[in-house]
Amino acid sequence: MSISKFCGGVAAAGVGLCQYKRGQAPMPEQGVLIKAITEACEDAGFNPADIDGFVSYGDDNNEPVRLMPDLGTKELRLNSQVWGGGGGGIAAAFGIAAAAIGSGQADAVVVFRALVQDNSGRMSAAVMRHHLNDHIISAGILAPAQICALRAQRMFEYYGVPQSVTEELVKASYYHGSRNPDAMSYGKELDLDAYRNGRWISEPFRLFDCSRENDGAGAILLVSAERAKDLRKPPVHLLGVANGAQKGWGDLLENDIHYASAGFQPIAKRLWQQTGLSPKDVDVVQLYENFSAQGIASLIDHGFCNYENVTDVIKFENLIAPCGNLPVNTSGGNFAQGFIHGFGTAVESVRVLRGESANPVPNAKVCLLAGGPGAPTVSSALFGSSSL
Amino acid sequence: MKGLGADKPYWDSLLEGKVRLQQCAKCSKWNWPAVYRCGDCGSWDHTWTEIETKGKIYSWTRCWYDFGVPKEYVAPFVSVVVELNNAAKTRLLGTLNQGDAEVHIGDPVEGHIEFCTFDNEKIPALRWTRTTAQEKSS
Repeated sequence: MSISKFCGGVAAAGVGLCQYKRGQAPMPEQGVLIKAITEACEDAGFNPADIDGFVSYGDDNNEPVRLMPDLGTKELRLNSQVWGGGGGGIAAAFGIAAAAIGSGQADAVVVFRALVQDNSGRMSAAVMRHHLNDHIISAGILAPAQICALRAQRMFEYYGVPQSVTEELVKASYYHGSRNPDAMSYGKELDLDAYRNGRWISEPFRLFDCSRENDGAGAILLVSAERAKDLRKPPVHLLGVANGAQKGWGDLLENDIHYASAGFQPIAKRLWQQTGLSPKDVDVVQLYENFSAQGIASLIDHGFCNYENVTDVIKFENLIAPCGNLPVNTSGGNFAQGFIHGFGTAVESVRVLRGESANPVPNAKVCLLAGGPGAPTVSSALFGSSSL
Repeated sequence: MKGLGADKPYWDSLLEGKVRLQQCAKCSKWNWPAVYRCGDCGSWDHTWTEIETKGKIYSWTRCWYDFGVPKEYVAPFVSVVVELNNAAKTRLLGTLNQGDAEVHIGDPVEGHIEFCTFDNEKIPALRWTRTTAQEKSS
């Protein structure tokens, strides 16, 4: 496998993740974020004052200039955020960071996301604020769950994807989460009866088809691959990033052409072209699943399966580490590990390739980070281990 | 109206009890969401054509949780995406006036205008009725 160097070679050198139950963060949002960034620096063996760039997504409220006094920042050279609501911009944030490093605009860039309910409100409401207009309000739609439910219903009822596949995915997430001491669901596997008979949220979604909401912050430090070699942990290389939307998809009042998809078809195509890789080269997937059906749609869009063979591929035993062919969400993902706007999936992308996952995937070399599905703009990234 | 900007004539016409959608005056494309400039032909001229509010359910969800929706919609209620029979099959949003109905994609529906209340403001809304309630098609 030969991989061209994305933006001249950029690597994740440190990760930090501070997660709490919703409404229970010990500090306001900015304080939690500072803690996550310093954890990422500690992980890398890097002086926080030397960070000169920051990128976030999803309408984060923490303007980088306000972080400077706490971090001791010497010079701020890049402060940026990906446009777009939902978690659609999570992987794209790494692309901006890499472009800045590759072009010499910044040397050490932190990608971050912070959400504490007391500051930014309920996460689902904070996400939805981005999308509200009178068209959807007058249709009684006020939550991401309802929009995703409409698309899920089309996938199940019209395209005939069996709804049973969502159980396989959720079960796999909980299997991993139950074995991850840092997961909200640590020690608790999915109660199938509770899953199948959980209260309805918005049909076809029951309670456990929906991601959690947590207080917290996450940060990943990116530097050039050269510089990363001298830092504490083995570098995890960014192999490629694709972001955006194609004509016929976007903020279209539910007039998207591939309505039942997660919007990734053109993005995934670009990611595979960019890296020369294909789904068969992926050893492990960190899958942003805001809702169960969108996780399935994302795997389909990325080319791991299709409407016809979805039940052959999305099977519990196939999705779990260490022996499954397609281990997914080795930390527990947004369902079981926790949900700070998906940042846990990005952190786990790095950890699993370092061999630090609570559910290791032996010899994993390539990890796909599939970002927030179903958003008007979506993004995905590929990470590679230092041994690739 | 707190629409999206270019769709002001849509909201104005709802207040008159009519549903009008935007069509490019040059290339006849139905643009929805409404646009200032037709992205296909570059024209800034548009007509607003009254359409028959008949179509089929393209997708639906029955909501059981109180997300703070307009007070007129009491859970469980059904939100629908409706594919119009005309206007190049443009999809419009709305609610079904039968919250407990067994709903299927493809069910024929007919819409009318009602008002809902959000943030103490009245918003015109499309309320859809299944025209052949027993029919199950897709």
